Amino acid sequence: MTESDATGRAIETDDLRVTYSDGTEAVRGVSLSVPRGEFFGFLGPNGAGKTTTIKTLATLLRPTSGSVRVNGFDVESEPGKVRESIGYMAQETSVITEMTARENLRFACDAYGVPRGERSDRIAELLDLVDLADVADKRAEGFSGGMQKRLDAAMALVHRPPLVFLDEPTTGLDPKARNRLWEYFEAINDDGTTIFLTTQYLEEADYLCDRLSVILGGEIVAEGSPADLKREVGGEVLDVALEDGSSARERAADIVREDGLFPGDPTVEITDGGISVTSRDARQHGPDLLVALRDAGITVTGFNVRSPTLDDVFLAITGEHIDEELPDEAVADGTTTEGDRGTPATDGGNDEQ
Amino acid sequence: MGETMSSETADSGVARASNTFLNDVWTNFMRWNINAIRNPFVVVSSLLQPIIFLFLFTQVFGNVATGALSANQTLAGSLSYETYLVPAIAVQIALIVASSSGIGLVDDIESGVFQKTLVTPMSRTAVFLGKTLSELIRIVIQVVIVLGLGVLLGAEIKSGVGGALAIVGVAVLFSLWFLAFSNIVALLTRDQESTIIAANMIQLPLLFVSSAFLPVNSMPEWIQVVATYNPITYGVDAARAIMVDADVMEVWNVTAFGGIWNTLVPALGVLVVLDLVFGVLAVYTITRATSADVQ
Repeated sequence: MTESDATGRAIETDDLRVTYSDGTEAVRGVSLSVPRGEFFGFLGPNGAGKTTTIKTLATLLRPTSGSVRVNGFDVESEPGKVRESIGYMAQETSVITEMTARENLRFACDAYGVPRGERSDRIAELLDLVDLADVADKRAEGFSGGMQKRLDAAMALVHRPPLVFLDEPTTGLDPKARNRLWEYFEAINDDGTTIFLTTQYLEEADYLCDRLSVILGGEIVAEGSPADLKREVGGEVLDVALEDGSSARERAADIVREDGLFPGDPTVEITDGGISVTSRDARQHGPDLLVALRDAGITVTGFNVRSPTLDDVFLAITGEHIDEELPDEAVADGTTTEGDRGTPATDGGNDEQ
Repeated sequence: MGETMSSETADSGVARASNTFLNDVWTNFMRWNINAIRNPFVVVSSLLQPIIFLFLFTQVFGNVATGALSANQTLAGSLSYETYLVPAIAVQIALIVASSSGIGLVDDIESGVFQKTLVTPMSRTAVFLGKTLSELIRIVIQVVIVLGLGVLLGAEIKSGVGGALAIVGVAVLFSLWFLAFSNIVALLTRDQESTIIAANMIQLPLLFVSSAFLPVNSMPEWIQVVATYNPITYGVDAARAIMVDADVMEVWNVTAFGGIWNTLVPALGVLVVLDLVFGVLAVYTITRATSADVQ
């Protein structure tokens, strides 16, 4: 790895603030430091400031204050150098639909000044990478959403950028298409490319990222590896599935709170099918809870002790759930989630527009 | 961490060996040419409307209009309505193609391709220049087609082949301000329908209250006033002066330059000023739009 760059960092921001002209403070003092080669995740609900941040890093928005260096270049004074050294894949798929896959890649090669002698090989290589070689000469307007996304991703890679920004790259894709994209992202990261990924899918961040920052209301509320963050929740999670309706779940939660079965201060959460208890001693004291529930006449249909997911992390940090909704569910109606997810963070920005 | 990393020092960045401003212009020029060729419906329909106008107007208004023409002092002499109308149709083509410029831009904004272009190292000026050149080429081709059709219908280009080329030049010069206007509307509304409506709303009525279809002197007083302030009058008059090789301008009575130049000098002057004003406004709007709405 070349470390001649003084910082050795792909991304370095210090107290980045972005305020829109309507007064919305979308990003409020974000400091990031992403070393080269890292697969970095930027996690947060809609409206948290993810897209504003990534657009600022990619020179599409100017910082209101604070410093931003990307690949060693200042985004304000050297935007051209930043643009030459990054790949950017926007949230919305953007390919030129009138053109074939090959022509789109050729356009991207032209736009990024890929030396002429290398273009054909580079295009062939990328078509292979994203599995579009057999439709290379078909127009993109006939492609499925997943194929267009893959072409979009390939267009961001023509110039072998050392740093790639992916803004919610799998939103709206079915699980198969999503998994394929994940493979490509892992492959280019394995080749040494730094990746900055924003996502609202916890599973995605957990699966792909070396390190995460969680953003909410324009501020970073947690940082660390997925494992670190899970550890922050403190303890294990006991999920108990109950047979009866909501009153049984309420009663079960009361039993956890009032009976002192778990030492310390367990958190209990009512879920769709039962309750979830987070405690340092969930494994040890779980059976006591099952007995107590049986004594109270509540039928337990299943139970499981697990380590916390990032959703639990999010709940612990923010007091809010992120629906761990996978892209395949999101595709059914991408907008309905906006209201409930966006609410706690709407003061943070209108960046998702 | 192999070969990808070797090129990533901050100083060398990524090889951008073969790009120049002209390359960037060419890249975008070709992109929009491909776009036009692959949307034959748009190209054909933008040519069809002026051709329909040419046929309908000469057939429906031919007799009446020829009367109006012969009664007109400025255009005294035998001038067929075909000859009178063809320069106006050339200008109409410039209007229609130029108005689609903003639509292409809105398409790009809506599909995200605009943003994708902005994040590349391409010169932003070159991006717009390439697109504009592609549209000007379309205007040139379509005006040539209409001039050919007009001649087939009996119109006469009195200044010959050189004159025909000059009319093409006038159409291009005329199109620039409207092209800029269309892009300004596109960037301000960022909405396809608004862009189309704005262009159409202005284009058709303005054509009628100009010197395009009938001599201005034969129209009511208030229309004569409107026509004086209507840019279309100057585009049409310049093209028509070349077509009939005579001073045809009615809205201003200029005599200082002699013959055809009494029309061309003021008309082209107005067009150049319009182009500059709208050009500057467009550059300003584009610069604002590309640097986004942050404080």
